[in-house]
Amino acid sequence: MSFLWSRAGAIAQKEVYHVMRDPFTLALSIGLPMFIVFSFGYAIEFNVKNIHIAVYDADQTQSSRRVKDTFGSSSYFILEPVSSPVEAQRVITGDRDRASLIIPGGFQKDLFSGRSSRAQILLDGSDNSTVGSILSYVQAIQNITSRRLGDFDPPAAVNLKTRFLFNPELNSRWFVIPGLAVVVMAILSILLTALTVAREWENGSMELLLTTPVEPLEIIVGKLAPYAALCILAVIFIYIISRTVFALPFEGSLWVFGFGCILFLITHLAQGLLISVVTRKQQIAMQIGLMSGLLPAQLLSGFIFPIESMPTFFRYFTMILPARWFMTISRQSYLKGSTLGEMGLSFFVLSLLCAIMVRAATSRFKKDLEP
Amino acid sequence: MMSTLTGFLQKEFKQALRDPKMRILLFISPIIQLTLFGVAISNDVKNVRIWANPASKDTVLQHILTRSLESKWFIPVIANPNANPYDLLRAGTADVALVPPPEGLTRGIGRGPADLQLLINATNVLQAQSIEGYLTSITNQVVQEDLKIESPSLPIQFDVRVLYNPTLETSYFMVPGVMCMLMCIVTIILTSMSITREKELGTFEMLISAPITSSEVIFGKTIPYVVLGMSNVPLILSVAVFAFHVPMRGSVAILTLASFAFVCTSVSIGTLISTFAQTQQQSTLGGFLFLFPAILLSGLMFPLENMPTIMKWVSFLDPLSHYSALLRNIMLKGGEAEFIATRIAILVIMAVISVFFSFKRFRTTLQ
Repeated sequence: MSFLWSRAGAIAQKEVYHVMRDPFTLALSIGLPMFIVFSFGYAIEFNVKNIHIAVYDADQTQSSRRVKDTFGSSSYFILEPVSSPVEAQRVITGDRDRASLIIPGGFQKDLFSGRSSRAQILLDGSDNSTVGSILSYVQAIQNITSRRLGDFDPPAAVNLKTRFLFNPELNSRWFVIPGLAVVVMAILSILLTALTVAREWENGSMELLLTTPVEPLEIIVGKLAPYAALCILAVIFIYIISRTVFALPFEGSLWVFGFGCILFLITHLAQGLLISVVTRKQQIAMQIGLMSGLLPAQLLSGFIFPIESMPTFFRYFTMILPARWFMTISRQSYLKGSTLGEMGLSFFVLSLLCAIMVRAATSRFKKDLEP
Repeated sequence: MMSTLTGFLQKEFKQALRDPKMRILLFISPIIQLTLFGVAISNDVKNVRIWANPASKDTVLQHILTRSLESKWFIPVIANPNANPYDLLRAGTADVALVPPPEGLTRGIGRGPADLQLLINATNVLQAQSIEGYLTSITNQVVQEDLKIESPSLPIQFDVRVLYNPTLETSYFMVPGVMCMLMCIVTIILTSMSITREKELGTFEMLISAPITSSEVIFGKTIPYVVLGMSNVPLILSVAVFAFHVPMRGSVAILTLASFAFVCTSVSIGTLISTFAQTQQQSTLGGFLFLFPAILLSGLMFPLENMPTIMKWVSFLDPLSHYSALLRNIMLKGGEAEFIATRIAILVIMAVISVFFSFKRFRTTLQ
């Protein structure tokens, strides 16, 4: 028997009814991406601000006040006076403040007598995501106060003129949102397919389907097509929101980006299918889907944590993750405007992974069907 | 009543652990994931590809390049010396390019301050900021050494001390976060799926017609997942301490207590989700609808300080934010009594509220 689109279409129609009858799933699979994009878009900001800093000033002079003012007026820090140096450390242990500034007595005297005045700064090392930024702010404030209070202004020999290409204002949203397309697709595609096919096994209706004259490949295509459509819909939503609400640029070609989306989608649908064939139970399929699809897409794809910084083994390991390659394609299409040729490697590897995954899923599926 | 409950519990444990794949997933996968993500992920920036025209005879520029490559942060780019630096960045061959003034940096310095242009690929915002910081300090060092400029010490010096994690080990920060994430994924989603599974298979009606009360059904379904969730605590904790050398400065008993409060909260949230869902697919999606913002707003990866005020309020309702703060406070700081008591109390209140609503919803579905 050969592949018939009409039979695959019939299965697809049944699956569409299935989804439509279940408005909860439909609403969630469209609502979830929107929700994710809005919350990420509004909540994530890497430029740390509003750092609560406890201040203990034993000197109480004009100079110490000016140091405090420099911290307070920088918009990065919110000053909170404390009554003793011990208290200044306790607020960090009790997670009330992220940092403490302790100005010792004799601060102004040292400054006027030409010795270096020293103030102590304590930082909360338990939160790495803020320490780096606070360190650089402190460095900058040290320079500013030295210039203002100590008339210290050595001429610079080299001025560094930095140009941040592709995201000149270092906008966190430009960084996060193109990556979200990848993360959202990774969740929806693997989970929905893994669960829906596993459900047929669990209910025993898969056996029923197999006794009908429908070919295995037709079952696969029919079952997955509606979910593929849902995922594509989700990506279109994300694209529209990113362009209108968050005003992201899109420098590349939509066709190339769309092609990348479809390759990634097929790979992940095949992965979801493979998982469901192997596990046949929704609870297990969900967990494996999570481990092999969602978490790597979020943590190992270069979404937030750069791949270059990973240990050597992981730099190579990430190469087998379709999300890593699609992440490159998505970022480059949004921000850099790279052409298909410039992203050749990403597309090549992604197609290769896609072919391997489809082959593995279909052959495993067919083998499972034979008595 | 006790015997029905024990019977029910036995059935649930058997059901959850019957499948060998499930046993592996429940106990081994958290360890593998913690190891994987603990090793792989870091906020440090390394292996940044730097490019400067290698043919240039500019000594200061070459020194900056050599010095950068000697630090562990940068690796060289092999490219055509006449390449356009902008194209190198666009093609992704380089992450940063140094562009000296036309007359050269060395000669430029002789005539007063020279402009050295840095082109940085800013598609990754965090990386871009670090690169700028690294290169600024390297350039300052090179200029001081090459030109023998004795830089007088600043009149105001800040002695910065980073407490609890002086070497800024990323794993100290990441491992408690990943721990918290793994525990709540297991408990929330598995609990809600196990209840909806009964609905899907039609066995839920059977439970209702059986002579057991609805509270027995709820406790019977949830206690196994509390136990399973708690059994993950020593496993994950020992990986954190022995494999990643995350310090355990506080008391293990308090950590267990905090974990118990958290597991109860997340299991009861899972139950609440299951009262809304009819199928396992729905309960998974519902679980994610909760988990995504919960992970995002928990301060696990992204600093809470930066979020808009309204998001900060929402994060206060997020059990993950309290548990991750507790884990970090107990493990890294040794635990401060007042802080721990407040946060555990909040978790308990959350658990009570969601248990109350689950009961209410459960009764209405039963009728």
